[in-house]
Amino acid sequence: MGRHDVAVTGLGLVTPAGIGVGPSWEAALEGRPTAAHDPELAGNPVRIACRVPDFNPDLLLGGRRAHRLDRFVQFALVAAREAVADAGLDPATWDGARVGVVLGCADGGPATVEAQHRVLIEENPAWVSPLLLPMQLPNMLAGQTAIEFRATGPNLVVATACASGASAIGAARDLLTLDRCDIVITGGSEAMITPLVMAGFAKMGALSKRQDDPATASRPFDADRDGFVAGEGAGVLVLERVADAAARGARVRARIAGYGATADAHHVTSPHPDGIGIEAALHAALADAGAQPEDVQHVNAHGTSTPLNDLAEGRMLHRALTGDPLVTSTKGVTGHLLGAAGAVEAAFGVLAVEQQCVPPTANLHTPDPRLDIKIATAPTTTRIDLALSNSFGFGGQNAVLAIARA
Amino acid sequence: MFDTLKEILVNKLKVTPEQVVPEATREDVELDSLAVVELSLVLDKEFSIVISDDELLEVPTIGDMARLMEERSAKV
Repeated sequence: MGRHDVAVTGLGLVTPAGIGVGPSWEAALEGRPTAAHDPELAGNPVRIACRVPDFNPDLLLGGRRAHRLDRFVQFALVAAREAVADAGLDPATWDGARVGVVLGCADGGPATVEAQHRVLIEENPAWVSPLLLPMQLPNMLAGQTAIEFRATGPNLVVATACASGASAIGAARDLLTLDRCDIVITGGSEAMITPLVMAGFAKMGALSKRQDDPATASRPFDADRDGFVAGEGAGVLVLERVADAAARGARVRARIAGYGATADAHHVTSPHPDGIGIEAALHAALADAGAQPEDVQHVNAHGTSTPLNDLAEGRMLHRALTGDPLVTSTKGVTGHLLGAAGAVEAAFGVLAVEQQCVPPTANLHTPDPRLDIKIATAPTTTRIDLALSNSFGFGGQNAVLAIARA
Repeated sequence: MFDTLKEILVNKLKVTPEQVVPEATREDVELDSLAVVELSLVLDKEFSIVISDDELLEVPTIGDMARLMEERSAKV
């Protein structure tokens, strides 16, 4: 066990496959794509997305509470409740001063901003809601979580675009190893599927153009991939120091054994073609875990289904990892959950390590011939002592988590 | 006017209906300063009743808020 290992004692998920770890992991194992035509995007150039199905915030959180929360915070609270309960912790009795919250998101609440901007320009500036800022500010993710769980320890939101969820988990682990607190509620949440945001992503050329065939649009590592499909949701992990978890007899689902973070310092949206930054992050995570490149048996790749990412990442994995790990990208199922992706995929990494089973990459029919990596196309039972979860963001921010068997 | 106010509090601000009685204070129905601004805004936008959030904060109960609404709407 590495000197900085922390225990994952709780998991919570809200994903396009459903509300809860159960339905989300089941869809991942089945390789069942969730992308579909989105009613709220009808008439727009981008009409497909991976939306969380049947999410009723009034039922899940109570109408009064839900009314004052943007969707990205609603997702986080639902996932965090599941994770805290899964950890067997009771916020009514814990020492809140020793409970931290570190969550990531890429954007905050764009749906709230867009709705209130319409009020401003189409109705009356005097009618702009006083809840505009309390709902949309990115830091409310951690602030509202603190209120929900009486967690008065260190509290922050991390923004590294599509690496945010993984960066948050890395920062949370640092808080524990530095003894800033005893428990951290960490992960990421995102609700960015709005016409404006989708128009922006489309103009960047980042999204799949398979608008008439949503189920096959997100196809990581496939030769015919042409971009990502946007998703939404949240992933939350409860982390504790291994000794603390053992002392209270908690079930340890896996350990976060290493974390590596780097910046490409190359281009605002394009990954470095040689994958220098992401390779450095991977090696940093391995060094932090006290592991060697041949020790890695499974990688939950960033694998966005964009032509550039999957090529650079796939080549890097071949070059950097000598143990022939089984690679997957669960984005074929979930789409790209942006700032939540790193957290949801870390949770999938924890589940893979715990159950010794790698979920498949959906829609992988013709692997990109330029890539020489072993990619799971069916749920595969295999020995996994050490897995990696990769997350890379626009802006060149890279985060790699090393997840070890408990 | 109390029924109108109750409808706004329940349907727009999502206050529990049972909580909304004339003698209830702002604290009883959990109306913080942001919620009072919301209420002021809905009154203006949907009922053309102009009462500032400061004025709403000054009256002690929900029943008093309803009376204030009656006074203002009568002046229109």
